[in-house]
Amino acid sequence: MDGQRGNRAGIFKTLYRVVAGSQFMGDMTRSVSEMPLIKRWWLLFCLIGAAATGCAAGKLNSARDAFYTSSPEQAATVLSETQTPSGRNELLFYMEKGTILHHSGDYQGSTEVLLKATALMEAQDIISASRQGASLVTTEWLTDYKGEYAERLLVHTYLMMNFLLMGKPESALVEAKQALEIFDKYPDACDNDIFTRALIAHCFEVLGEINGAYIEYKNLAQLMGDPTPVAGKLCELAGRLGFYDDVARYSAYLPPGMAKETVDPCGEIVVFCSQGRAPVKIPHDIVLPPSIRFSFSTYESRHSRFRPPAVGPLAGSAGAAIITTDVEKLLNASLKERLAQILLKETARVAAKEAIAHNIENNDAELLVRAIFFLLEMPDTRCWQTLPAYFSLVRVPVSNKDHPIRLRGIPSAVSLPETCKTPAGGAFYQYFSIRTP
Amino acid sequence: MFRNFVFKGFFWMAAPLMLLMMTGCSATTRDFSPDDTLHYDESYDFTDKKTIVNDLVSSLVSKPPLVARYDRPVIIVYGVANRTSEHIETSGITDDIRQEIMQSGKARFVNKVQRDNIQSESDYQYGGNVSAETRLQRARQVGAEYMLTGTLRSIKKKQPKQVRLKKKTLQYYSLTLELTDLQTGLIEWTDSAEIVRESSKPFIGW
Repeated sequence: MDGQRGNRAGIFKTLYRVVAGSQFMGDMTRSVSEMPLIKRWWLLFCLIGAAATGCAAGKLNSARDAFYTSSPEQAATVLSETQTPSGRNELLFYMEKGTILHHSGDYQGSTEVLLKATALMEAQDIISASRQGASLVTTEWLTDYKGEYAERLLVHTYLMMNFLLMGKPESALVEAKQALEIFDKYPDACDNDIFTRALIAHCFEVLGEINGAYIEYKNLAQLMGDPTPVAGKLCELAGRLGFYDDVARYSAYLPPGMAKETVDPCGEIVVFCSQGRAPVKIPHDIVLPPSIRFSFSTYESRHSRFRPPAVGPLAGSAGAAIITTDVEKLLNASLKERLAQILLKETARVAAKEAIAHNIENNDAELLVRAIFFLLEMPDTRCWQTLPAYFSLVRVPVSNKDHPIRLRGIPSAVSLPETCKTPAGGAFYQYFSIRTP
Repeated sequence: MFRNFVFKGFFWMAAPLMLLMMTGCSATTRDFSPDDTLHYDESYDFTDKKTIVNDLVSSLVSKPPLVARYDRPVIIVYGVANRTSEHIETSGITDDIRQEIMQSGKARFVNKVQRDNIQSESDYQYGGNVSAETRLQRARQVGAEYMLTGTLRSIKKKQPKQVRLKKKTLQYYSLTLELTDLQTGLIEWTDSAEIVRESSKPFIGW
């Protein structure tokens, strides 16, 4: 901590020397006019970079604040008045807007925005040489925000939830398949997200793709270590597929009294619970003489502890299956996956800046360029801030009779139906998305 | 002197480049025939729809049971299930299939999509506003003899990680159609059309 304060003091001292030691404006005008043409271009380029990075996404921040302090509806109003930013922060805007609209109950609006996000993520697969080149001598903020791997996965998670809530399971399965591609591509970064895995398995199950559902539930059981929350599903699907040895294997994990329950449920109440606030990125600096600033970001927690959503009591039900993803753990794993890439680029940027500054012959101009480079070296702290700290999937089996459904630990403001009537015969699913502080 | 020369050189190089970029940005339009084959990437597009519909309809009308029937049996279309990893509007496929079969003169179709509207119109005509002579007769609709269903599937395979400038993707699509006899429950005809396409995308762009 003291070291960090010392570093900050060093930064200010250096900057003071830059400004005071050069009798600023007059000296600078003379210095710049004496510079070779090519170096003047460099200076102009750096200044444009500085100006570009200074633009703040004010409306987006206002919407984020409104989302937490007042209501998602208020936040959605703020965003509806904002024009979609193009370029660097476009994806971030879509992510935040998609979440806000989802929690304000506008699932169609949220879907439209998040589908734009997925299209953009695909377009961003091509690395922009101009932006990457510019960021190499300025700052990472100049590049398009591509989202952490886990954030890219969660775009599909929200789309799956939206499509299920809108009664479009076929489209939810399309998103499930796209989410699976991300799981396959970045397993270390995303495997902690058991909520999304469970949602994928559910999408297969809803459409009667029992083979796909069985594979996904098995993968989920493997990732969780303890297959108890999905043992009922595994027994049911294994039985339908004729895998009787697996039925015997997973029956051992069934809670007492649940075996009978799995035989006769004709539907389920499925609740997507979002709890708390996801961590945000905070900046860190390491300063080395003469003016090398090595900056990076880490996630900082904004939530204290997880309170599991409790469901019940349901007449005749052995209880609900709850599967929870710790978003902080997921995002940290995702950032860790990119660590080598971040370090490599940061080192390259520091080296490039040092080489440019070192080659300037005029001392005053060198000092000015070093000061600009120093100020531009800011860690990229952009992140999806309206994500929850925890995602929980709560599944409550219901039978043919009327059953009162109550969620314990959920504020009374959450509007869940007191009674759910299941249709006679056939699988029945009723979905809810709720958000708690 | 030298500085002037560099500046002028830079100007004369930059000016044509800017002009070229501005020309590239101007809006243009071009017309194509729907029969042309056009693909921008590996994903499903209108050319694929046309190909698979043509293949399957020619198979359906040239094989039993439809080839041996001259009484134009009635079919009901129950849609094509999308099991790909793309958001594809499969009702476009079923619309085209129905149109092609109708034009072949081999079958007739029940208008399932408009059932509610037909019912509503029927109710209106019996509501007291329509004269008895011109109102439609109830219980005269034709029952379907066959049911047409299908599934569109896809498999995507990306090139494994290696040092290269472009990444290749292999995309496979398959549309399977089934004609089921509604009385017996037997599948009387089934066939599938397949498309395999490779596309490549650069890693680095401007």
